[in-house]
Amino acid sequence: MGGFLPFYIIVFLALLWLGSVKSSAASMSRGFTELLNSVVRIDVRQVNYEGGSKRFDGSIGSGVILTPDGLILTNAHVVSPKAVEVTVTLSNLENVSAKLVGWDHWTDLALLKIDMDEVKRRNLTFTHAGFGNSGKLFAGQTVYAVGTPFGLTRTVTRGIVSNISQYFDAERNEDGYETGLFNTWLQTDAAINPGNSGGPLVTEDGKVVGITTRGYTGANNLGFAIPSNTAKEVVAELLKSGSIIRSTVGIVPGALQDLEDFYALALNTGMLVNSVYPQSPASLAGVKAGDILLELNHNKVDGRFPEQIPTILNTIAKLPVGSQLTMTIKRGTKIIDIPVFTEVLESSVGEEGAFDKWGLTVRKISRVYAREHGRSDQNGVIVLGVQPGFPADSAGISSGDIISAINRIPISSLEVIVHAHANYTLKPEATLLEVEKDRHVSFVILKP
Amino acid sequence: MKFKIWIGFFLTCLALKSVALSASLPAMWEERIKSVVAVDYITETEEERHVSTAYGVVIDTEGTIILPSAAIDVRVDPKRLHRFKAYSPGEAVGSDATYLGQDSYTGWHFVKVSKAMASHLVPITKWIAPSGTPTLGLADFAWGIGLRNKEEDFIPYLLQSHISIVESLPQQTAIAQQEVAGPGLPVFTKEGYFAGLAASSFAQTYLEFSKTDHAGAPVMLVDVEESSAILVSSEVIPMLGRRPSNVNGRPLAWLGAYGLQSLDREAATFLGQANQSSVVVSEVLEDSPAEKAGMKAHDIIIAVDSIALPRFRPDRVVTDFVERNVLIHKPGDVVQFTVLRGSNRVELKVTLGDEPKLIREAERKYFDRLGLTVREFVYADAVQRRTSVKVHTGVVVSYVKSNSPVDGAGLAENDWIKEIDGMPVDTFTEATSKLSAAESDTHRKEFVLLVSRGTQTAVLRVKLR
Repeated sequence: MGGFLPFYIIVFLALLWLGSVKSSAASMSRGFTELLNSVVRIDVRQVNYEGGSKRFDGSIGSGVILTPDGLILTNAHVVSPKAVEVTVTLSNLENVSAKLVGWDHWTDLALLKIDMDEVKRRNLTFTHAGFGNSGKLFAGQTVYAVGTPFGLTRTVTRGIVSNISQYFDAERNEDGYETGLFNTWLQTDAAINPGNSGGPLVTEDGKVVGITTRGYTGANNLGFAIPSNTAKEVVAELLKSGSIIRSTVGIVPGALQDLEDFYALALNTGMLVNSVYPQSPASLAGVKAGDILLELNHNKVDGRFPEQIPTILNTIAKLPVGSQLTMTIKRGTKIIDIPVFTEVLESSVGEEGAFDKWGLTVRKISRVYAREHGRSDQNGVIVLGVQPGFPADSAGISSGDIISAINRIPISSLEVIVHAHANYTLKPEATLLEVEKDRHVSFVILKP
Repeated sequence: MKFKIWIGFFLTCLALKSVALSASLPAMWEERIKSVVAVDYITETEEERHVSTAYGVVIDTEGTIILPSAAIDVRVDPKRLHRFKAYSPGEAVGSDATYLGQDSYTGWHFVKVSKAMASHLVPITKWIAPSGTPTLGLADFAWGIGLRNKEEDFIPYLLQSHISIVESLPQQTAIAQQEVAGPGLPVFTKEGYFAGLAASSFAQTYLEFSKTDHAGAPVMLVDVEESSAILVSSEVIPMLGRRPSNVNGRPLAWLGAYGLQSLDREAATFLGQANQSSVVVSEVLEDSPAEKAGMKAHDIIIAVDSIALPRFRPDRVVTDFVERNVLIHKPGDVVQFTVLRGSNRVELKVTLGDEPKLIREAERKYFDRLGLTVREFVYADAVQRRTSVKVHTGVVVSYVKSNSPVDGAGLAENDWIKEIDGMPVDTFTEATSKLSAAESDTHRKEFVLLVSRGTQTAVLRVKLR
């Protein structure tokens, strides 16, 4: 354990790449052949707000077809709600379009649906794969990663399970979305490369035991996949509602490892509360950093090792939003029951928008962002980018600045700025912005 | 023929002029170098010592010296400054001096030399023009003193130039064509009257290209030994009496308006303030005089004591102007601010307070075996962390020794320790007594800290054995 989040350099394995090479499928078992024919390449065209204007860029990943009606499982960082065009290349090299039907960045999983009308019209065929039980895997077991690394046509690589439950502190993907809070990862030495993202990790009988997600930059054969038992649950939820609603109480847990003596605890008892977000349900209910969480709704908690923490957080996440959770806390020598009402888990990444006439792209300050940065309210947008030579650039605005008000109206929602931009588009005239850089406020003018 | 005569006449005039100067300048020089000294001192941190050198000017017969603001880092606790020594130009041996503190308004540091040394010095006031202070104007000749470094016994040398521009920054500042004195050293008129003090350098940056790496980018250099900017004598002479009464320069007038920013000219025009300067208040600090008087974040200050803020070039000089209008006062004085709030003009009467304890004034204690220095949590710490200033608990880590026990536990500088061994530490004394106990108990295996960093906290286990 160790307090603050260390910084890992991890690459998410989606890739901008073009080109294709033919290869023939190896057949081992019937199951494996079917699996091979269910693996697809996914080409995505998506909106990008980074550069001060709404742009489109492309990326490539992998995916696996799960059902005869064309449901595909892939990574959330391969296909996101920013995707405007998703093209799937089937194992027979035919292209067909697909749509995003569900997305969960917390587990880095996304669900697509192939355009079945098109499939019928063109008489296309494909097979589908089934999940195996990732809970039965053992270190040393042979597994295969299947995908389209660097856009190469379906490629199989072989390795073993290196670790069945690798833990990472929660972190953020390239777009700033949180990931990895609720699951541990399968680790494999099967070669996985950029473009493998979203492809399956399978056993010899062709059962999907993981979804390949990422690897370390500069390392050899350190690949990570989301276990199928996590994926199964996520897929079921995404099919129902397109997203997963989770509960949170706003605590940052820590492993108790080596601190049992200090807290006078028996081994394998309790989880450390490292931090409590201000204004969160736990904070409002009186939970404090340094408390030991002994029980959740009177069920014992064991957070001795970091690997055990995702399961505990997932227990909280699965509760209905707004439900009462009894946290049994040890504080000093006292043991107390604290009732906490859960709230919905949200990302710190707010809504994004582009304002062409100003050459400005922004992201709304979310409730979570405001809390994480100690801001007293949620007003304002964070500047993602400015286009050189456009009014925002000329006014001295740069990425990372916070715009808190426009024409003296606080930016309580993206609508405020959308409205001002619409007015400017109709009748371009000087527009007053209040801009914060490193806690210093400037008033600047966007002018035609 | 006529042409030749004219040229001859002109050359003779030039010769006469330079002869007149060279006859008197060395004599003036000999007397005036008695008004300058070099000062060096040691800044002592947990494990290191740094020697710094500065140049100053003698202001009275008691041997009081003023050093420019940049001579001493304002963030350093004066208790960490040691062994002040003063050197007369050309002398290898210094004599002990005492640091008296900094005046917040002028920024000057005051130092006092020994009586024996003072008897050889001549105050700068001796060179004040009898008819009042001379003003440096465009094209005026000016000369000043530079001092070499310690290895060269601070040998004085002559610098001279002509004035190319005079600007309000916001003080009247004359800019010479070339370097005219070392920063903090005096500049004189051709008659030898005191004309001002050299400030830090102005637009004197040089690009140095590498001699070996031909493709490499040049390095920007700034001349810190000589300056062409002169704070004119009318800005200096009335301020010579501002000797601080204590080493921390207390009392310090305090407003509590944070992050003053000059208003952009386009925005000023938009808000109907095109003919003057304005200053945006980024935040109003909790419990400050500004807050008590009703000042709000994003208020735009347009006048102080009913005087509209003048225009400066560059615009940002106006924030200095406002700050100096506060610092010239004493706590308890009332200053009136006119602010623009939305479309309203609001008058605010602020009774200035005394600046809360600064970080440099915070108590601190070093624990060598544990490997850290903690200091008192002060007002500025609460501001920095966006927490209420009314709750001053815990201590701040101001130093972490590398490879020490606390370093191994992941503690970092600027972390805020809130609990030690599971018990809240409310005061500095409480924290240091707990840490002292851990430091001296050689049988102890570990202690546990609850530490806040950013908006998160963490429990850190410090292994001692």
